[in-house]
Order: sequence, then structure tokens, then C-alpha cells
Amino acid sequence: MMKRQLPLLLLVFCLFSRGALIASTDEAEKRLKTAVNQVTEIAAHAPDRNALAAGVKPTLQNILSFETMTRRAVGPGWRQFTPEQQKEAVGLFTTLIIRTYTAKFTPGELPSVTFKAASSPAPGRVEIPTTSSYKGSHYDVVYRLDESDDWRITDVVIEGVSMIANYRTQFDAEFKQGGAEAVIKALNRSLATSK
Amino acid sequence: MKINPIIVLCLFMMAAQSAIHASVAEKTAAVTVVKKAKSPKIKSHDGKSVRLSDDDLNDEYGRAASVPDPIQPLNRGTFWVNHQIYRYIFRPVSRAYDTVVPSVVRKGVFNVFDNLEFPKRFVNDLLQGRLKSAGQESEKFVVNTVAGVGGVMKVSDRIPALTDLPRPDTGQTFAKWGIGHGAYVVLPIFGPRSARDTVGLAGDIALSPVFWVSIWFPAVVWMPAVTTPDSVRTLHDRLGAYDAVTENTLDRYLAARSSYIQNRSKAASK
Repeated sequence: MMKRQLPLLLLVFCLFSRGALIASTDEAEKRLKTAVNQVTEIAAHAPDRNALAAGVKPTLQNILSFETMTRRAVGPGWRQFTPEQQKEAVGLFTTLIIRTYTAKFTPGELPSVTFKAASSPAPGRVEIPTTSSYKGSHYDVVYRLDESDDWRITDVVIEGVSMIANYRTQFDAEFKQGGAEAVIKALNRSLATSK
Repeated sequence: MKINPIIVLCLFMMAAQSAIHASVAEKTAAVTVVKKAKSPKIKSHDGKSVRLSDDDLNDEYGRAASVPDPIQPLNRGTFWVNHQIYRYIFRPVSRAYDTVVPSVVRKGVFNVFDNLEFPKRFVNDLLQGRLKSAGQESEKFVVNTVAGVGGVMKVSDRIPALTDLPRPDTGQTFAKWGIGHGAYVVLPIFGPRSARDTVGLAGDIALSPVFWVSIWFPAVVWMPAVTTPDSVRTLHDRLGAYDAVTENTLDRYLAARSSYIQNRSKAASK
């Protein structure tokens, strides 16, 4: 009896796993598209850069996984952060990322985003490549989303430059000099001096 | 021996599923994965094979931007000087150019010098074995030179097959031939380069018609009317890219180095 049902069970499993893969990329794409549309809409009507930053903040907080981004940007040194230091680092890095993101927009000038076929380079991870046209230039932008973060963005790769890899280089140097304290100090310094 | 059609269907679906999974990832992702029993192996931006850590703290991000930097103190000094030059000389020049010269003229100047970069793109297409691209590049040059009045108008933008062509350079060709970045250097004025791309830059200059003119008629080098537009036309974009990379960072130098190496690795993988 069991022997007879085995092929049928296999078929159900195949259908289910294939369906799950498509469903996961669909869900990630859907979340990303909604967020991109919201940001574009806000950027279109924001009177100035400050209003733009304030307007997009809730959307970014909903679609970006700041905790994962901070953890990965710091790397293995994250284990040596106390829970208080981790919380502080996430808060500071969140502000820095929002500032970095909004600095790329000019209020009233809208980017046009074309979505390409998504891929899943590892279980629970989806990469969505896009082409953004902004102010007459075209940029390849890849969004990386993680299932463990409810399909939120964990990295943005612009023209091959990963935001997280870029910050990792900088955090590593600070961490080697003075551990978690040095990283937090550098984040504070950056927020105080950068635009 | 009887073959159960459902089992065959299952095996086919499993094979098809993994093939689709692999091909989509290969086409679109900057990172590709080879599945392993525990933590998967991936290829990072620079083509090195690395393993994803179980706790995601030690994965590709730490390796994506690594490059030897043996003369970092000297590089940092040059980077600082360049930063001051960009800030106090190039930025005002770029602003003045954008303010004084009408947009339509700026675009025309940009197009002429961009069209003159044809030899660099064509030769490197050939050296990389991209014959189709080399043909399209030639077609684009002829169309823009003839129909675009010496390249002033970029008529090729109206031909879908000639838009968004790759823009190969000599450093990229070296990368395609398997030559690594080598040591990182910061050149005065030019900015970040790898040892490979510094040699590549010499190749690019050798393929520039503006350079040929300066060799044949050395006095022309001192004629700003010939040499300045080619330098100023790209200032706005270059300064914009520099700002995007170095603002909101913990360390401008490291941010620029990391961005440069990642960006060049991506260009080499195209």
C-alpha cells in the first residue's frame, strides 16, 4: 500500500517545493515593489530634502531590516557587543542608512525603476535586480531580501557595490582599533559631521 | 521492467526545478551559489569561492572588497590632496561650467568626446573576443559621426540595438584575461586605481584620439580649447559619484577603496 503511494507523495512534494520557491520570490517582489512605489510617490511630492527624509522613514523602516544590516556590516565582531551596544549601534546605523538613502534623491525628480527576474541564490534569500533611471543615467541596483526578516531588504548593491560590504570594510578597521566602543564612536562621529 | 510514469515525472520536475533555479541565479545574481550539505558555498564579487557562515556574520561581505593596500599611508596622503583639489578646484569649475555653458552645448561637447572614445571601446571589445559588440560599436560610431554631425548628436540612442552597449576599457580586458587587481593605489587627480587598472589607464590613454593629436602636434596640449572640454565634461558625474561614495561614511578613504574594487570587479564580470 505504502509502496504504491510513494510516487504520489513524491509528486506532491515536488509540486509543493517548486510552488514554495515561486511563492517566496513573488512575495519578496511584491513587498519591494510596494515600497519602491511608496518612496517614489513621497519623493514626487516632498517640498525639500528634510521633508523627503521624514516622509520616507516609515516606509524604509518597514522594508529595510536594520538589525540584520547592522549585524552583517559589523561582522564577527558583533558577538563581542553587549546587548546595549548592539541596540545603540542599530539605532545609529539606522539613521546613517536613512540619511545615505535619502541623500541620493532630489525632491521632485523621480527615478524610473525596471524590475528584472528575481533569483534565489540560497535558501531563504532572494535577489531582485533592477535598473534605475535617474537624471538621465542608468544604474544597476540589486536588492537582497531575507525570508528570516519577513522578506525585508538586508543589502542593496548599486553598480556592483554592496552597501553592507562597503560598511563592513569601515567597521572592521574601527573594531580592530578599539572594539565595539570604537565602532559606536565612529558612527556618532559620522552622524555629527556627515551631510 | 516497468517504469512508473509518476516517478519519471517527479525526477523530471526535480531536475527542471534545479536547472531553473541555477540558470536564473546565474543570469541575474551578483552572487551565485553551489549547494552544499551545510553552509552553502558562494562566488563573491571578485570571483573567489567563499562559504556562507551559519550565523551569517562571516559571509561574503567581509571578502567582497578585499585588496592589498601596502602603501596605505602614501595612498591616504594622496587621497587627502585629491579631496582638497576636488573640493576647491574641480567643484567650482564644474559649477561654473554647468552655469555658464548651456545644457544643449554641454550635451553636444559630451557626445563629441564620448564618440571619440570609440577606439578604446572597439579595441577592447576585440581583445575580449566580443565581436558582436565590436561590430555594434563600429555601427554606432559611423551613425553618430555621419548622421550626428561629427558626434554632436547621439543619433544611435534612437536605435534600440545600439543603446546600452558595454563600455569596455583596458583594465577590464586585463581582468577578463585573468589578471587580478594587484595592489591598490591612489593616483594624483585620477584617484583610486588598482595596479592592473593603472596599466589599463595607460592603455586607455594610448587609445585616445585626443592623445594622438597631442603626440602629432605637441603644442595642442596647451590649447585649452582642445583638451579642457574632455576633462570638464565628465566632472559633474565624477564628482557626483565621488560624493555618493564618500558621504555618510565612517572613513572616506576606506569607503572609496571598497566601492572602487567592488565596482571594477562587477565591470570585469560583465
